Amino acid sequence: MTVPSDRGFSRRSFLKGSAVAGIATTGLTAAAHAVPAAPESFGPGRHEIALLVNGKEQKVTVETRTTLLDALRDGLDLTGCKKVCDRGSCGGCTVLMNGEPVTGCLVLAMDAVGQSLTTVESLTEGDTPHALVQNFVKCDAMQCGFCTPGMVMSSLACLQKRGKPTEEQMRTDLSGNLCRCGTYGRVMEAIQRTAAGGTGGGK
Amino acid sequence: MSTPRDVEITVGYPALPGLEDRLEKRTVKPAEGDAAPWDATTKFTTIGTDVDRVDGLQKASGRAKYTYDITFPGMLQAMILRAPIAKGKLKGLELDEASRMPGIGAVVALKDLGAKVRFVGDAIAAVAGTTLNHVRDAIEKIRAEYDLEEHNVDYVVATDAPLLSATGQIEEPWAEAAELEAALKEAKVTHEATYRTEVQTHSSLETHGGVARWNGNDLEIWLSTQATFGCRGELAQACKAKGIDVGTVTLHAEFVGGGFGSKFSAGIEGLAVCLLAHAAKVPVKLMLDRFEEHTTTGNRPGCLMQARAGVDADGRIVAWDWRSFGHAGFTGSGGVSVPNYYTADAKKRTAHKDLNIDADPPRPMRAPGHPQGWFGAELFLDELATKAGIDPLQFRLKNDREAIRLDQWRFGAAKFGWDAARARKNEAGARFLTGSGLASARWGNLGGAGRGTPHGITCRIHQDGTVETRSGAQDIGVGTKTMMAIVTAEELGIPVARITAMTGHTTDPSGPASGGSTLTPSIASAVRHAAFLAKQTLVEIVAKHIGVPLSEVHCAGGKVGSGTAQLRWADACKLIGPNPIDERGKRHPNYAEKPFHASQCGAQFAEVKVDTWTGLVEVTRMFGIQDCGLVLAKKQAESQVLGAMIQGVSYALHEQRIMDKRSGRMLNGDFLRYKITGVRDLPRLECHMHSIANGHDSVGAAGLGEPPSVATAAAIGNAVFHAIGVPVRHLPITPDKVLAALASKKG
Ligand code: FES
Repeated sequence: MTVPSDRGFSRRSFLKGSAVAGIATTGLTAAAHAVPAAPESFGPGRHEIALLVNGKEQKVTVETRTTLLDALRDGLDLTGCKKVCDRGSCGGCTVLMNGEPVTGCLVLAMDAVGQSLTTVESLTEGDTPHALVQNFVKCDAMQCGFCTPGMVMSSLACLQKRGKPTEEQMRTDLSGNLCRCGTYGRVMEAIQRTAAGGTGGGK
Repeated sequence: MSTPRDVEITVGYPALPGLEDRLEKRTVKPAEGDAAPWDATTKFTTIGTDVDRVDGLQKASGRAKYTYDITFPGMLQAMILRAPIAKGKLKGLELDEASRMPGIGAVVALKDLGAKVRFVGDAIAAVAGTTLNHVRDAIEKIRAEYDLEEHNVDYVVATDAPLLSATGQIEEPWAEAAELEAALKEAKVTHEATYRTEVQTHSSLETHGGVARWNGNDLEIWLSTQATFGCRGELAQACKAKGIDVGTVTLHAEFVGGGFGSKFSAGIEGLAVCLLAHAAKVPVKLMLDRFEEHTTTGNRPGCLMQARAGVDADGRIVAWDWRSFGHAGFTGSGGVSVPNYYTADAKKRTAHKDLNIDADPPRPMRAPGHPQGWFGAELFLDELATKAGIDPLQFRLKNDREAIRLDQWRFGAAKFGWDAARARKNEAGARFLTGSGLASARWGNLGGAGRGTPHGITCRIHQDGTVETRSGAQDIGVGTKTMMAIVTAEELGIPVARITAMTGHTTDPSGPASGGSTLTPSIASAVRHAAFLAKQTLVEIVAKHIGVPLSEVHCAGGKVGSGTAQLRWADACKLIGPNPIDERGKRHPNYAEKPFHASQCGAQFAEVKVDTWTGLVEVTRMFGIQDCGLVLAKKQAESQVLGAMIQGVSYALHEQRIMDKRSGRMLNGDFLRYKITGVRDLPRLECHMHSIANGHDSVGAAGLGEPPSVATAAAIGNAVFHAIGVPVRHLPITPDKVLAALASKKG
C-alpha cells in the first residue's frame, strides 16, 4: 500500500484559497501602493511587505501563505510571540492589532499590512518596563514562562479596554490563553495590581 | 572556619497553628570542609521570604530565548514525516524528489527499509529547508510504502486485559491469598470496586525539538529538555552510531517551556536535527508541531484498578487487596502506585500488569503512577468509610501512619472548614449539589547525593561585588535559578540583586535531570557549598588586608571584617583583583543519621458544585498544604503547588486522549479538542507551604515537582462522590459520566 505523505490537515492548500480572497476584499485598501482597478494577485512567490510594528514600519519578505506570527518571528526576530498550537486555540501568539488582541497564527502577514501592530517587546522598550510587566514579576505570574508573553498581551488588552476589570471580565479576556504550568490566578493578580496602580493602558 | 566534626541540630518544624511543635535533636557529622548545617533554629534573612523570580523580567518581556526562539543567519527549518499507520513495516521510501524541491537543504531517512512501524507518528524521514512552507511542500513529495499489520490501540481489549463486566467492573477472579481472604472475612465492613483513568498528555507549551549547529566536528545544540547532560551524552553517542566523527558536544537549555517528565530524552527529533545540520552544513531548527507533541512524546498512561478491603469495628483497615492494569504503548510501563501509609497493619497485597498496545509509549509524567493510583485508592477509601459510617477525615486520622500528615489533616481541615462543609446538606431536588472531599499526597526524595553523582556548582565573586552561581542543569520553570540565587545570598549575607544565577549550559558544572523532584535536593547544598568556599576565600583576602587572624573575620549582613574593622561588601570585593574568586562547590553525601522524614507529605481539600441538569462539575475552591523540606524560594514554591493543583483539576475533569480504533490515530491531538484547564475553570485556590528542617544535608531541602500533583484529582473525585452520593470511578469526570451516575442512583 502506498500512503500519501500528507501530514494531516493541510493548511497550505487552505491558506492558498483564503489568502487570495482576503487580499481581494480587505488587503488592498491596506496595501502601501496604489489600488489597481482589478484585484492584483500575489503569490505563490515571495513578496516584500511593510508592517507597522510597535510604531515603526519594517520591511519583511513573506509568501502569501505566511502567517503574521511567522513574519514577526522569522522575519523580524520578534520572538516574544510563540507558536504553541498554530490553530488559534492557545493564545501563545497574542499580539495587538489596532489595539485588539489577535492570534498571530490566524492572521496572514499580508492582511496585517497597514494595521498598527503591538508586540510584547514594546512594553520594555523604554527605561522602565511597563507596570504590567513589572507586576507579572511581582506576582510570580509565570513558571516556565512560555505562555507568559501571550498572557501579558491579553492582560494588556483587558486593561486597555476595561480600566479596572472585574474578575469575570478578566476571565473572559484571558479565556483564550492556555497555561500548562497553571499561572492563571497570579496573572489575574498582576492585572488587578496594575489596575489599582492606575498605570494600565499607558506606558 | 573549619567545620566541627559533630554538630547538634534541631530538625522538624514549629507548631502549625493550633497544634504542637515537632522538633527533635540530631547529632550529625558534616563532611570535612562542608558548611555547618542549617536547621529549624536558623534565623534566615532571605530563605523562605518572597523573592521575585530572577529571570522573571526576561520571561514577562518576551525577551527570554527558548530553544524555539534561537535563530542563525542561513538557518534552515525542519520537519519529520510521520507514519500514518499504527503497525507494520516500512516497505519503500523514496526521498529523491523531495530533496530536489526548491529551498531544500537536507533530507534524511530515520527508519530503515524493513523496519517496524510501531504507532501512528513513528518517525520515517526528516527534511530541512528555507522555510517550513518549503519543507511541507517537499514532505508531500516523499513516497513511503508500508506493509500493514493489524493493530490495537485500546488497552481494555489488549490480549492480557482482565475481563470486564458490562458496567466496567473487573470480573477476573483474584489470585489466591489465604491470609488476606481470612482477614477480609473477619472484617466488619468490606468493599470492592473498579476504577479507571484515561491517557493524559504532558502538553508542554514549548514542543520538543532543537537547533543544531556543527562547526567542523564540534556540535552545538539548543534543546528543549529537562536533562541537559543526559541529552548531551545521548546525542553524542547517537551521532557517532550514525557514523559521524563527533568532536565536542555542547548543549544549551537556558529557558525551557515546560517538560513535566516528557523531556528526559533528546528523542528522534533531537537526533534528526543533528543529522540534518550535519548534512546541510548550516544550522537547522526542528521543533515538533502540536499534533506530534500530543502523539509522539509520551503520556501519563491510563489504567484499570481494582481494590477490595475491609475495616474492623474501630474503622481500622485490616485487609487491603489491590491490582492494577496499566496501558503501556508498544513498549514502556504503565505502572501505578498506591498510598501505603493507611494500611501499615493490614494484611495486604498489590499487583500490577502492563498491557501493550500499538501506540506512543508512556513517559514519566509529574509523579508517575501516583495521581491515577491515588484517585482509585482515595475514592475507594471514601466509599469504604461511608459504608462503615465514618467521616472521611476521621477515617484518615485513624489509619494514616505519617505523623507530619496527621498534623496537616488537622490544620488543613480547620483552614478549609471541613466539618461545616461536610455537615451542609444539599436541598432535596436542588439543581446544583455541592460536596467536599480530601486526599493525601506523598513523594519520597531527599536528593541523595544527586543520585550518586557528585554534582557541582560554580560560585564566582567579582571585584565589582557581583556574584555568579552557575549550574549546567536546567530550570524548566520551577524557579531553580531563583533558588540558587536565594541560597547564595543567604550564605554570603548579601541581597539577591547582586547575584546572577545561570542554568542550562553544559559548559557549567554537571547537575541532574529535572525529574522525580530530585533537582533542588540534589544541588541546593552544592550551591551553598560553592558560596561557602567563595566566602572563605574572600574572608582570607580581607583578613590579610586588615591584618587580623582569619578566625576573627566574618562575612555577614553585607559586611566583611572583624570588630570595628568592617568593610562593606562592595569594598571588600574591590580587594579581589581582576580575576574573580572562582570556587567549585559539590554535593556531599547525605548525613548518615536518619533525617526527620524521608518523604514529603501533603494533603488537599476540594469543594465542587455539580449541575445535575448538565452533569457539569465545577471545582469551586481548594486548599492544599505541602511539605518540601526547608522551603527555599517561597513564592516560586507556592506557584508550583498552585500550578500542580490546576493541572490536577485538568486531569480530574477534562483530559483524555481519544484514539480512533480503526486508524490508530489520536482524534483530539490539538488544543481545540484536547482540553486542558483554562482560566474559566480556575477554582479559588490557596496553599500553605509547610517548611520542615529535614536535617539530611547542609540545607535540608526536598523536591517539590511531584508531591502536590498527587492528591488533586483524588480530592475532587471524593468531593463529587460527596455531592451526588454516588462515586464516579472513571476519570475524567465528564458530564456524561456524572449524568449516568445520577441516573444509576434514581434507578
Ligand atoms: S508558565 Fe508555563 S505554560 Fe504558562
